[in-house]
Amino acid sequence: MKRIISLAVNGVEHELAVEPRRTLLELLREDLSLTGTKKGCGIGDCGGCTVLLDGVPAFSCLTLAVQAEGCSVETVEGLAGNGRLSSLQRAFVEDGAIQCGFCTPGMLMTATELLRANPHPDEREIRLAISGNLCRCTGYQKIVEAIRHAAEADHE
Amino acid sequence: MTLPRFDVLVPETVEQACSLLAEHGGGARVLAGGTDLLVDLKRPIVQERLIEAGGGDPGRFTTLGDGEPGAIDPWGSGDPPPDVLISLHKLAGLKRIEVLDDGRLRVGALATAREIQRVPEIRDRWTALAEGADSLGSPLVRARGTIGGNICNARPAADITVPAICLGAQLELQSPDGSRTLPGEQFILAPGVTVIEPAEILTAVTFPALSARTGSAYYKLGQRKALEISVVGVAVYVELAGDDTVQAACVTLGAVGPTPLAARSAAEVLAGGKPTGELLARAARAAAADATPIDDHRGTAEYRRLMVEMLTRRTLELAVERAGGRS
Repeated sequence: MKRIISLAVNGVEHELAVEPRRTLLELLREDLSLTGTKKGCGIGDCGGCTVLLDGVPAFSCLTLAVQAEGCSVETVEGLAGNGRLSSLQRAFVEDGAIQCGFCTPGMLMTATELLRANPHPDEREIRLAISGNLCRCTGYQKIVEAIRHAAEADHE
Repeated sequence: MTLPRFDVLVPETVEQACSLLAEHGGGARVLAGGTDLLVDLKRPIVQERLIEAGGGDPGRFTTLGDGEPGAIDPWGSGDPPPDVLISLHKLAGLKRIEVLDDGRLRVGALATAREIQRVPEIRDRWTALAEGADSLGSPLVRARGTIGGNICNARPAADITVPAICLGAQLELQSPDGSRTLPGEQFILAPGVTVIEPAEILTAVTFPALSARTGSAYYKLGQRKALEISVVGVAVYVELAGDDTVQAACVTLGAVGPTPLAARSAAEVLAGGKPTGELLARAARAAAADATPIDDHRGTAEYRRLMVEMLTRRTLELAVERAGGRS
């Protein structure tokens, strides 16, 4: 039997009827057509589906939609404001931190939360923060550089 | 959909959660962080699709949680999926972490590894617990996975459970009949099997107060630094007396037996002795003898036993140093 849940996604309130077994990932991609959040492994290993749930990174593939009831959800679609990329997104583009792009939304959400909590991370802290987000293209070096550059750009 | 059909009940109080559990009996499972339970529920469905896609070799599909020593075969267990999940996410009181007036540490069962990692008193004093939380899965697993889930899943390699038992964890369990407290070391019987009653919920984990001269450490040995299941985990606790001898000590081993394992002969070697390099080395050899490892794809029994000795010595040196002594 479906449940009515309400949640805020990127600041917009939604009320939806969901099956209990529906994941937050399925709700975002299929009910709200927010396909920026990717489905990778589906079992909490790759980090492709990372969103921020009340400000904390969460696998949306291992979070039931009903568990997000009353929560504030942030996805990659919420990062750019008024058509302008966030400084982190700009750094990813400028530094070549994006190749196939599949891990990028999850990486951006993880790194967004890192920079909120720790505006001046050192390289070790950056590498540790993204250690649950897998990238098969870049070898991580350019992603680490982009996060560092974004941190510097925000404080110039 | 990658999950089987089930209903989700969301209790507002612990009492409600217990009575729902009593009502639904064996058909219900408790959902905390979901990093193990939801993976277990998805696994057969993902596997089926792999076979459909022509890539189905059950041996190839391993995730966090299986393949560890004594792991239950996820394909052949034959347990039906639960009809009902009782999700505890509304029980905010169970997230609380506090140092009590009498000096004990009380960690709510729903506290995540990430929350535990970030408490300065835990880092400073119950250090092995913080280091266990640091070692769990990946940052994303730590942000969802809870101490209660880690303990109730009863895996022999569980990175929070092993140091928690070492630090003398007492488990607070609540059921419709009342509550009871149980030492952590008596809780786990076999991989995935605990003494928890069908309508019981783990609500909190308390740790004894520490005297000034205590130190602890946890070391996880894996083949990589993230998203790994321990090949060996070693937690140690040392308390020094005024004359620098060992007043009390505990060594708990992960992934070298069917459950987290107390290395009792190592503790006996340490008790009352001066923590010299020679004594710590002797305790480490005793710990290796206490271990009951098996061969599997993560490592051989022989390698694990050697690593227990090496890591017990190193973590003991660290714990003695943290206790303010010298080894």
